[in-house]
Amino acid sequence: MRFKNSTLFVTVSAVMLSAPALALNIFVCEPEWKALLAAHAPKATIYSATTALQDPHYVQARPSLIAKMRQADMAMCSGAELEVGWLPMLQARSSNPAVQNNKQSMLYASEIVSMLDTHHHVDRSMGDIHAYGNPHVQFAANDMIRISRVVSKRLESIDPANAFSYLVNGVKFREHWRQKLVEWEQRAEPLRGIQVVSYHETYRYLFDWLGMEQIADLEPKPGISPTTAHLQSLTRLDPASFDAIIYSSHQNKRAANWLHQQTDKPVIQLPLTVSKGQTLDELYDQILDDLLRVLAQPQPVKG
Amino acid sequence: MKKKLVSLAISSILVSPAFANTLSNPQIGVVLDGYYQNGERNNSERSEGFGLGHTEISMSANIDDKFHGVLTTVLETHGDETELLLEEAFIQTLTMPYGFNIRGGRFLSDFGYMNNQHMHSDSFVERPVAYRTFLGSHYYDDGLRANLVLPTDMYVKLGVEALSGSKMSAVDDATAVGVYTTTLKIGDDFSESSSWQFGLSYLRNENGKVNNFEEHDHSTDGHDEHDHSHASAVTGSNLYGADFVWKWAPNGNYKYSNFTLSAEYMLLDDIVDSKFKGEKNAPDTLAAYYVSGVYRFTPSWSAGLRYSDAESYEGHVHHGSTQPHLTSLNDSEIDAMVAWDSSHFGTVRAQYTRVENQDKATDNVFTLQYVMTFGAHGAHAF
Repeated sequence: MRFKNSTLFVTVSAVMLSAPALALNIFVCEPEWKALLAAHAPKATIYSATTALQDPHYVQARPSLIAKMRQADMAMCSGAELEVGWLPMLQARSSNPAVQNNKQSMLYASEIVSMLDTHHHVDRSMGDIHAYGNPHVQFAANDMIRISRVVSKRLESIDPANAFSYLVNGVKFREHWRQKLVEWEQRAEPLRGIQVVSYHETYRYLFDWLGMEQIADLEPKPGISPTTAHLQSLTRLDPASFDAIIYSSHQNKRAANWLHQQTDKPVIQLPLTVSKGQTLDELYDQILDDLLRVLAQPQPVKG
Repeated sequence: MKKKLVSLAISSILVSPAFANTLSNPQIGVVLDGYYQNGERNNSERSEGFGLGHTEISMSANIDDKFHGVLTTVLETHGDETELLLEEAFIQTLTMPYGFNIRGGRFLSDFGYMNNQHMHSDSFVERPVAYRTFLGSHYYDDGLRANLVLPTDMYVKLGVEALSGSKMSAVDDATAVGVYTTTLKIGDDFSESSSWQFGLSYLRNENGKVNNFEEHDHSTDGHDEHDHSHASAVTGSNLYGADFVWKWAPNGNYKYSNFTLSAEYMLLDDIVDSKFKGEKNAPDTLAAYYVSGVYRFTPSWSAGLRYSDAESYEGHVHHGSTQPHLTSLNDSEIDAMVAWDSSHFGTVRAQYTRVENQDKATDNVFTLQYVMTFGAHGAHAF
């Protein structure tokens, strides 16, 4: 009931305060930012350059994306070179001042998040690695509040006519997120200390948040596809040293399944990002469900 | 205590903008290109044996909040000689309103589909014979460009260029601005898995019409002189182009597998001065095209097939005569290539080319090539 009231309040105030201006056009690189922005600017038209099934490292700077970028009032991406293979081309080809770097209306989540795995020395022999740090920041749960604050501020300055609604939505998002954080951290208690083999450090922020540890990677080096030799070396891992094999929905499952056959450890496929219509907290709920279903089964009674 | 200090140090590294050292100005990138081949293709920059191809050193940076700058130098070896070419040296606007952008300096022309792309992003060892004959492999020049991207859901880009045209001049007293181009590009997605782009181009060459043929002595071998010419082999007043590219990847995820089909057609007209009309073999129009398909079947392996054909001609006058002697020429090539990518930055490629040239002589050229990049690696166009 309280929820309904606040929705009504927001709607009424938005109607009262907003000029009959056109809704904002927002371009995002990954679906998680679409979900985040939709919570802050529900009236905006938001276009995501990638889907949950695509690897955001390997996207084509295709004509349809240039056309979308041309019309954007604002853009948001993960940054930290995740999109370095295509985003700069879109920015240049779209000729849209609003989406150029260092503009208020061009937002990079990794510039807000406390980055993990930053490197002073980067060499391509280390694989497709970035000095900025691990760019898969959609699971930096604790930093989402800081991101939300920046998003609200930017929206307010880009579209002052609707500033009040962005302010209210931001407050609502952060309040809800804080509640969820408490809930998630309680639920995730059984996951603390769990050790896994994963793929590409995709879940670096998730594991860091939940107190899990990735002890080996199915990729020999970030961005280098699993090789037979590397997978063979993983079979020499002490089977007692890890609890599960985790990979992401857009990644090739062959390597994970192969290691499963060798070690009999459970395989968990986690989503990379939100699926259509899903909110960011629903994604987190789903990931916790998926992890807990496999990793927190009731301990068998010893006897 | 010690632990606390360490974690403090680490967290300060994390919080400190580590961005500073990698966002440094300018971005520098190097492309290394080496090969061995057992023959030669017509109008090619690559000779027989071991050689270095398109070795590139590139620097780029945002100059300020309004301009972006790029400098690309190319080193090429031909026998004992090493050539240093300036392929790109341009500035481009970043913040013009209404989807406009202006580029000035030396740059790759927007004519056609492949011309404005860097050679190291190609899927084959060399540009198709159509490009080598009509555009001197890739046409770059000094001048000015204005582009306009329309605010439509379908991608529509209009562009005009004014260029010196010195590489495409067929006359001695060339005008200062020799070449004007105008291009239209449209493109969109067929579905989540497949995208397309179609382009029309027109190039007006004020100095393209041949009004004089040089004397040619049959006894000397004039081959070496023009072996690695960067100018187009044939020119005319008008060059028309149409191009199409279609890319497909399952669910739009290009990492594991994808397919690219591209094709271009070019038509050259108004080639020789009217005083040569009626001469035997005087070309009226010349056409060139290619069709290419490349399939990536794993992240590290791809294979491709390409067919290209170009009409051209050769003309000279004999000593003491004013009558030119003209010969119609035709080159066609079938290429088959297999490439292995050690990563996103290193490629080793094997290519077989069946060359069928003017007098229907056939030749088989086999090339083994590597193309590897280090430093900053720019994003690639569609």
